[in-house]
Amino acid sequence: MSPTLLEEIPPPRLTPIGGVREALQRRWARPGGRAYAVLRWSGATIFAAIVLGLVVSLLATASQAFGHSGVSFLWSGTYNATKDIYPTGIFIVGTLITTAVAIIVAVPIGVGTAAFLSELAPKWLSSPLSVLIDLIAAVPSIVVGLWGLLVLSPVFAHHVEPFFKAVPLLEWFFHGPAYGPSMVLAGTVLAVMILPTIVALSRSALTSVAREDREAARALGATRWQVVRTAVVPGARTGIEAAVILAMGRALGETIAVAMVIGNNYSLPHSLLSPGATLGSAIINNFGEANPGLDRSSVVGLVVVLLGITVLVNVGGQLLLRSRLRTQRAAP
Amino acid sequence: MHRGPVSGRAQDRRHHLGGVRVPRGSTLIVSLVAVAVVAGACGSSTPSAAKKKATKTETSTSTTATTAPSTAGAATSTTTATTATTAVPAAHTAPTSPPASSTACSTTGGALSATCDTQSPSFKLSGAGANSIQPFFTRVFYYYSQADKAVSVNYSPAGSSVGVTDIQQNTVNFGDSEIPIPTPASGTGGNILQVPVDLGGVALSYNLPGVSGGLKLDGPTLAGIFLGTIKTWNDSAIAALNPGVNLPSTAIVPVHRADSSGPGYDLDQYLIDTGGSAWTGSAAGTTPSTKWPLPKVGVGEQLNTGVAGFIQQTPGAIGYVEYAYSLQAGFTNAALKNSAGSYVKPSQTSIAAAGAASSGLSASNFNIVNGAGAGTYPLANFSWTLIYQKQSNTTLGVVLGKLFDWVTTTGQQQAAALGYSPLPANVAALAHSTLLTLENSAGKPLFS
Repeated sequence: MSPTLLEEIPPPRLTPIGGVREALQRRWARPGGRAYAVLRWSGATIFAAIVLGLVVSLLATASQAFGHSGVSFLWSGTYNATKDIYPTGIFIVGTLITTAVAIIVAVPIGVGTAAFLSELAPKWLSSPLSVLIDLIAAVPSIVVGLWGLLVLSPVFAHHVEPFFKAVPLLEWFFHGPAYGPSMVLAGTVLAVMILPTIVALSRSALTSVAREDREAARALGATRWQVVRTAVVPGARTGIEAAVILAMGRALGETIAVAMVIGNNYSLPHSLLSPGATLGSAIINNFGEANPGLDRSSVVGLVVVLLGITVLVNVGGQLLLRSRLRTQRAAP
Repeated sequence: MHRGPVSGRAQDRRHHLGGVRVPRGSTLIVSLVAVAVVAGACGSSTPSAAKKKATKTETSTSTTATTAPSTAGAATSTTTATTATTAVPAAHTAPTSPPASSTACSTTGGALSATCDTQSPSFKLSGAGANSIQPFFTRVFYYYSQADKAVSVNYSPAGSSVGVTDIQQNTVNFGDSEIPIPTPASGTGGNILQVPVDLGGVALSYNLPGVSGGLKLDGPTLAGIFLGTIKTWNDSAIAALNPGVNLPSTAIVPVHRADSSGPGYDLDQYLIDTGGSAWTGSAAGTTPSTKWPLPKVGVGEQLNTGVAGFIQQTPGAIGYVEYAYSLQAGFTNAALKNSAGSYVKPSQTSIAAAGAASSGLSASNFNIVNGAGAGTYPLANFSWTLIYQKQSNTTLGVVLGKLFDWVTTTGQQQAAALGYSPLPANVAALAHSTLLTLENSAGKPLFS
C-alpha cells in the first residue's frame, strides 16, 4: 500500500546535494543536458575568443607604430622629420572635450526628461514622447552627422556661437572666430545621439525607486516637484550613473557624425568654438588612405588608444557602480 | 478603437496594431502577394528584353546633349542646397553608335569587336573610386544601361584610395583614381590596366559676397592662404593681384578635404610648382600627397559635397572642389595664374586646352598640372579607371571592355553637360589601345 501518512513521504529536496561538480553532473545526466551544456559553454568561449582575437590583432598591427615612437605615441603620435602626422595627444584632447560637452548638455536634459516622463507626464503624453525619443536612437550616425552639418552648423555659426561669445562670463570658453564646425557643435550632435540612452535608462531607474520613498516624502509635506527632487532622483542615482557611463562610451567612440561637424583641424583647440579633431574622426578620415606599413600601423595605434580609453571609462564606471551598490546594500 | 479578442485563449490575445485585428487567413494572402510583387520586380530585367532592342539609327545627338543645362538630372548625391536653377534634363535620346549588345557585334565608331556571345545573363558590375568623377559616371552608366539593359553598373564614390585598394584586392570589377597607381601596377589578379576616362578640373571656389567671380590668385598667394599667413581678404598680396576690386576685410577661412583626394593632390602639386619656398619648406614638402598636408590650418570636410556645403554656408571661405561640383552649386571661382603667366578661370575650354596640351600621356606620365599653353587652366587632371588585364571571366571581360570603350568615345558627349571636358583625340586613342590589351585567363586577347 502507498504511504498515506505525511511523515512517510520524503520532503522535497530544496537544496542540491553537493556542489558545482555534482550540479554539473546532474545537468549532464538529464536528457538534452549535454547538448545544452555544450551550447552554453561554446557560446561563451566563442564570444570571448572573438573579443580577445580582436584586441590581439589590433595590437599586432599597431605594434610597428608603438615600436617606432615608444610611449610618446600617446601624445605626439607618429612623428617624422618633415611632417608630424597623427598627433595623438591632440585627438585625445578633442575626444575628451567633445564628450564632456555632450555629457554636460545631455545629462540635465536627459534626466529631466526621464523624470518628467516617469513622474509628471500624463499617460497620453508619456508613451508617444518616449517612442519619439527612442526613434532618435534609430537614426543612423551619418544621417545625424549630415543633419548637423547642413542644418545645425549654419544655425550655430550665425546664432548660437555669437550668443555664447557675447556672454561675458563664458569668454574663457568661447572666443575666436565662429565658423560653424567646432567642438561645441560636435558636442551638441553627440548629445543628441546619446540622449535616448540616458532617457531610457534613467527612466527605468526612476520608476524602480520604491513607492515607499515617494509616499514618505509626500507624507512629510513635499510637493510633487520636491518629491522628485529629494526622494526619486537621489534614489535612482546609481541607475542614472550607469546610464551616463554607457552614454559616455557611445560618445567616445562616435566617428562619422563627429567627423562631419568637428572641422578636422589638427591643432590644439583654444576655445570651444575652434575646430578640432577626435580619435574617431581622425581614424575615419585617415584609414582609407593610410599606406600599408607605418602609416596604417599608426592609424591602428589610434584605434588601440581609443579602445583603451573606452575600456578605462567602462571599467572605471563599473567599479564605481559596484562600490556604490555595496555601500547601498551595507546601509541599513 | 480596440476590439476585444474573439476567444479568451492567451494565444489569441496578440498585440493588435491600431486596434484592428488581422484574421489569420489574410496574413498568408498578404505575404504571398508581397512575394509575388518582389519576384515580379526582380524578374523584369531579363535578357530577352535586351535582345528586343532594335539597333537605333545614328542621329546627331551631340547637339542635344550639349544644350542640356549644367545641372543634370543625374542622381548626384550632393545634398547641398544649391541655388543654381535645376532644369529638367534633356529628354534622353539614344547615344550614337549603340553599345553592342551581347549578340550584336558592331564595329562602327571605334567600338571594340569581339567573338559574338550567345545568350548572356545580365551583368551587374561594381566599381569604387574617386569622388570627383561620380556625376559623370552616374550619367554615363545610366545611359549605357538604358541602351543595353543587360548591363547595370554600381559605382561607389568613396575616394580614390578606396578604389585602388578595392581593385588591388579584386573585390570590385573596376576602380577609379585621380592619381594612377605607380607603374607597374598590379594586384592580386595580376597586372592592372589604367585607362583615362575623364578630363576634369579643380576649381578654387570662394564665398565672398560683393565680389564677383574671377578673383586673380597666383601660387604664392594661394600658398599663403592655405598656410594661414594671409588672414584677410583685403590683404595686400591679394589686393596687388586685383587692382580695382573692392575687397572686404572678412577673415579667410581655408577649407580642405579631410579625407584623401585627387583635387588636393593637384592643388598640392600646383603649389609645389608655383608656391615658392613658403610651401615647400612647410609640412607640405616637395612631393604632392593625396592627404592634405596642412590639417592644422582652417577646416576640413568630407568629400566634395562637404567642402561645397561649407563654402556655401560660410562667408569668407575658400576651398578646392571638382569643377563639376562648383558648376552645379553655382560657385564663384578664382582665376589662377598658369605657366604662361595669364590668369585663367576654370571652364570647359580652359580645361580642354590643358588636356590637349598633354603629350606623351601615360599612367606613369600623368601630370598635367601647370601645363604649357596660354589658355590652359593649371589645375586639370585625368581620371583613370583601373581594370585587370587578365579577366578570368571572359564574358565579363568583354562587357567591361565594351563599357569603357563606349564611355571613352560616345559617352564623352555627356561630359560637357556636367562640367567635364571631352577627352582629346590622342587620349581617347590611348584609352582604346589600352583596352585592346585585355586578355582572357589563357592570355588570348579578348578583342581584335
